Amino acid sequence: MSESMLSACLLSAAFASAIAGMGWLALSMPVHAQQVWGDVLSPVGARALRWMGASGLLVALALCLAVDHASMASLVWVMTLAASALAIAFALSSRPAWLRGLAPWVRVAKPRPAR
Amino acid sequence: MLNSFRQSMAWLHTWFGMVLGFVLMAAFFFGALSVFDREIDRWSNPATRFEPQPMPSYDKVLRPAFERMQPTKDAVDAMRPRVNGDMPQRLDTVVSWSAYTTHRDPVLALYAGYEVPNAKDPEEAIWAYGTIDPRDGRVLSNDQLKIGSEFFYPMHYSLTLDWKNLGFWIVGFSALVMLAALVSGVVMHRKIFREFFTFRPDKARLRSVLDLHNLTGVVALPFHFFFAFTGLVIFAGTYYFPVGHTQLHDLHELHAQIEANETGLPHERAGVPAGLASVDDMVAEAQRRWQAKDKAGDVGFLVLQHVGDANGYVSVYRAGTDRIALVGDGIHFKASTGELIREDPPASAVGRVSEFLTGLHLQHFRHWLLRWLYVLGGLAGAVCIATGFVFFVEKRKRQHAQQGSQGARIVDALAVTTVTGMVLAALGILVANRLLPETLPGRGDFERYAFWGTWALAFVHAGLRSAPVAQGRANPAWREQCWAIAMLAVGAVALNWITTGDHLLKTLSAGYWPVAGVDLFLLFGATVAAMTARKLTKNAAIAQPRIDTEPAHV
Repeated sequence: MSESMLSACLLSAAFASAIAGMGWLALSMPVHAQQVWGDVLSPVGARALRWMGASGLLVALALCLAVDHASMASLVWVMTLAASALAIAFALSSRPAWLRGLAPWVRVAKPRPAR
Repeated sequence: MLNSFRQSMAWLHTWFGMVLGFVLMAAFFFGALSVFDREIDRWSNPATRFEPQPMPSYDKVLRPAFERMQPTKDAVDAMRPRVNGDMPQRLDTVVSWSAYTTHRDPVLALYAGYEVPNAKDPEEAIWAYGTIDPRDGRVLSNDQLKIGSEFFYPMHYSLTLDWKNLGFWIVGFSALVMLAALVSGVVMHRKIFREFFTFRPDKARLRSVLDLHNLTGVVALPFHFFFAFTGLVIFAGTYYFPVGHTQLHDLHELHAQIEANETGLPHERAGVPAGLASVDDMVAEAQRRWQAKDKAGDVGFLVLQHVGDANGYVSVYRAGTDRIALVGDGIHFKASTGELIREDPPASAVGRVSEFLTGLHLQHFRHWLLRWLYVLGGLAGAVCIATGFVFFVEKRKRQHAQQGSQGARIVDALAVTTVTGMVLAALGILVANRLLPETLPGRGDFERYAFWGTWALAFVHAGLRSAPVAQGRANPAWREQCWAIAMLAVGAVALNWITTGDHLLKTLSAGYWPVAGVDLFLLFGATVAAMTARKLTKNAAIAQPRIDTEPAHV
């Protein structure tokens, strides 16, 4: 694999990791869990998601550092975080169900009967 | 009224943001476009649609090009009042010849400075500028405006208001206010983390606008902060505190002499004619020295100082594409013999911070993902300001309508002009660029008129259609200008195809991204504008019946 291909793959992985990280952080918040699953998570589940989210962002940083000079990588990382936060926010507002894919082990609450 | 810290911050944020938001909008929008200024240059000058070139050979290409250069008649006329006696027919004493390129430039910019005999300020030189095709030295006409680097980029940092550097001061003051707006915005926003991902487009209008304002402001907060800050750092050194050239003129002269002694690079001509050793050899030696330090060896800037004089020297600077910090790693040679005079030493700690901060903003690096992320940051900033305007108007317009005040109406018309009108103006110059005949004299001036003309029309249109705002309704100019954006953007892409034959299938299959990227971005912009226009039309249709019945209640 050429060096530029490898960089592109690593940066794509960094992006994916940052998006997953931001998604998990959002899902650990009661408001967004409600949007995605129609129910809040248990405190333990929420805490696990928060840790996963933070790790996702750190993995993204490590991947950025693997590609570029540290000064460049830090900027790429910060801007990647901004882009993934926007992506998650827009996913939550228009297609919240998509985020279920980030935590498939969580059971979807049954739709409440119409009153 | 301002009885708490948070309220006083809110006052500051609202009013300073509203007044200077108009300038900041231009700084953010044209800044985002300037990230790809060289690519826009290529879109707008079809003759330059080829691959970026390295610095060409001095002996084969640069020397003949430099020797042909002379200042324009306008530059000579402008110099006349600052000279005792007449201006000479031809200027021969060269202060410096220099050539500048980047990894994104197919063409090469040339600069030539000449000593002016009997100038009132003996330090003042007269300058000539040129652009050549580095493959064969062919001169490109100065009438071909480089829309990206010579128009959108100056719009970003000075609004092209050159008179007494006024534009620099306005933009710089706005950057300072931007910093204040960020800090006060953070103070006002009670739930930064709890509402980090929050955007509720279905909520009441005021809420959804504020959500988008907060979202685009908060997620890109580091970007907004660092770009406003580093912009000020860059301006401060050049325009705001040029003490060396104003208060400390005598000291400046002394400093120049001392520096010349320390560096061995002569400040003045010796007055003794001398020849020139091979510049190509000096460039090769410089590249060998960079290579030895494991640095990418492309030449970005080549300067010949005191050409033809025994004190002449040649400076070779690196194009720093492999790191953020803006570093030249200059290497200097004696012109007549080619012997090494000096290598620039590594910067001090403070110098390195400054290089990083300026490099972060000016982006000489080679990193396409980071460039696109910068565009995203800039556009997020533009959306943040635009939603700020909309919020300002939405919050007040019903109240103003009841009081019979025109305040919200005026701000709304100005906001339409600054948000959609600015996009229209940028599209206007691109469309004019494709419509005007290639050989039209003063072509660049007509393109500029098209820009300002389109903007003026957008302003008039926004004003004429603003009456509903005074009745608490939406200005239809928003959606009408969104439709105009969609049409002009598609029109620009179509005109590019018709006038140059470079349609998207061709540029994409050839992998010619500079032109394909501009076209794709225009089509993306058209799509967003059309979707926005449809949404606004739907909103207006929902709001209409309710508003129509309102007079009955009064």
